[in-house]
Amino acid sequence: MGLTDLMSMAKPNMDARENFLSKLSSREFVNCFQCLKCTSGCTALKLLELKPHEIVKLVNLGFVDELASSDIIWTCVTCLKCVQRCPQKASPYHIIMVLRNMAVEKEAQIPEEYLKTVSRILETGLAEAPQEVTTRKMEVFDRKSLNLPKITFPRESFQVAFMKIMEEK
Amino acid sequence: MKLAVFWGCRILTSQYAYEMSVREVFKKLNVELVDLSEANCCGDPIKSVKDSAANYLANRVLAIANATGLDGLLVPCNRCHFTISEAKDVMSKDKNLNKKIESLLKEEGLAYNSHIKIWHVIDFLHNFVGLDSIKKTAQKPLNGLRLATHVGCQIIRYSDLGRVDDAENPRKLDELVEALGAKTVDYAEKLDCCGAALMYGHPNSALSLAGAKIKALQNLGVDGLVISCPDCGLMFDFRQKDAAATVGAKTSLPVIYYTQLLGLALNIEMEKLGLHLNQSPVEQLLMKIST
Repeated sequence: MGLTDLMSMAKPNMDARENFLSKLSSREFVNCFQCLKCTSGCTALKLLELKPHEIVKLVNLGFVDELASSDIIWTCVTCLKCVQRCPQKASPYHIIMVLRNMAVEKEAQIPEEYLKTVSRILETGLAEAPQEVTTRKMEVFDRKSLNLPKITFPRESFQVAFMKIMEEK
Repeated sequence: MKLAVFWGCRILTSQYAYEMSVREVFKKLNVELVDLSEANCCGDPIKSVKDSAANYLANRVLAIANATGLDGLLVPCNRCHFTISEAKDVMSKDKNLNKKIESLLKEEGLAYNSHIKIWHVIDFLHNFVGLDSIKKTAQKPLNGLRLATHVGCQIIRYSDLGRVDDAENPRKLDELVEALGAKTVDYAEKLDCCGAALMYGHPNSALSLAGAKIKALQNLGVDGLVISCPDCGLMFDFRQKDAAATVGAKTSLPVIYYTQLLGLALNIEMEKLGLHLNQSPVEQLLMKIST
C-alpha cells in the first residue's frame, strides 16, 4: 500500500519510534538536517518517487508503523549512495532495512520473493537453485557439462542453526 | 599463493562464465583457489527479512573460510563482498549479537575469525598482483578496443567500511582494462546502478534501470561493457533484451566480465572462459580482438 493512503489518518506514535531506535544500532539518524543529499542522488527516486529524506523525517516524527506497512520501503535498490553521501551519518539505507525487518515482524505485505528465498536457504543453504543456461547458439549447459565442481550443500546442523536465529524474537 | 574462495549463490547457479574465467585466470597467475565446502548464502536477501539472521549467514561463511586455515578469502560477487564486510564490522561492534552468533557457530563446530582478509577480484588483481605484472603477463594486447567499465555499487560504498575503490571516482577497473592495451571511456552514467536488487519486488523498474544504462552506452558507441559482479551480469548480459525493451531500445552491447577479458589477453581458450555463455553479442567484441 502507498504511503500517502496510509498517512491520511495517521498519528505519531512515539513508542514505535523508540522501538525503531532500539533496532537501529550505531546510526545517528536523529541528526538529519534535511539537506537532501540522499534524495538528490537516490537511484530509486527516478523510478518510484522514493524520497529518503522524507523517510528519515517521518521516522523521526513517529510514523514508523505507516512506513513499515508501505510498499515504498521495498523500492530501495540498495546502491548505498545515501549512506556514502550523508554528512550526518543518518544513513537512509539502514533505516529502510530496519523498516523492512519491522514489516516482516508485523506480517505486513512484502514482496513474496523474499520469503521464498528464506525457504530456499533453509532447504539448500543457497538463495537460488542451479540453472541450465542456453547459449546464443541454443546449446544447453549446466555445471556438470561445463566441468565445474559439484556444489557441496550445507548439512542439517546448518538448517537447525538458521531456523533458530530466524525464529528468535 | 593460496586463497579460499566464496562464490555466493548467483555465480554458482547461473553466472558460470564468471566462475570459469576467475578459475582459469587465477590458475594462470599462479594463485590456487580453495573452494569452501558446505558454504551458504551470504545473507544479502535476508537483510530485508531479519538482520540478525543475515549477520549469522555472513559470519558462517567467514567461519567456514577459517576452517580452511588460509588467511585470505576471495569474494568475486559485489553483494556478497559488502554483506560479509558489513557483518564483520557488526560483529566487532555488537557484543550481544557476537555472542549469539559465536554460540550458533559452535553448535556446528565452527569458529569465527575476524582476521581473514576479504578480497574482491578487482582489488586482488590491482593491489596484490599489480598492473605491471598484468601488463607483463598479457601475451595478447587488446589495443584498439574502446570499452566502458561498470564497477557496480556495493564494492565501492560505503567508504567507512573500507571498500575496494573510491566511492565517487572508482578507477581500478579502468586501469586494469587499460593495462591490457584497451582504452576506457568516461561517461555520465558510470555510477548508475544496474538495478538487480529491485528484481525481487519491482522487476520492471529494475530492468528499466539496466535498460537506461545500456541505451546510454550504446549511444556512446563503445565496443563493449566490462563488469565484475554477477548481479550486473544478470542485468546487463543475461537480461539485456528485456532491459532494453523496458526503455524502448534495440541494443546489441557486448557485456563481458573483466576476468574473461583478462583471460583473452592471457591467451586462454574462449570456451574455457565461458564466452559461449554470455547472452549479449560478445562475438562483435571478439571479432575486433582477433583481427
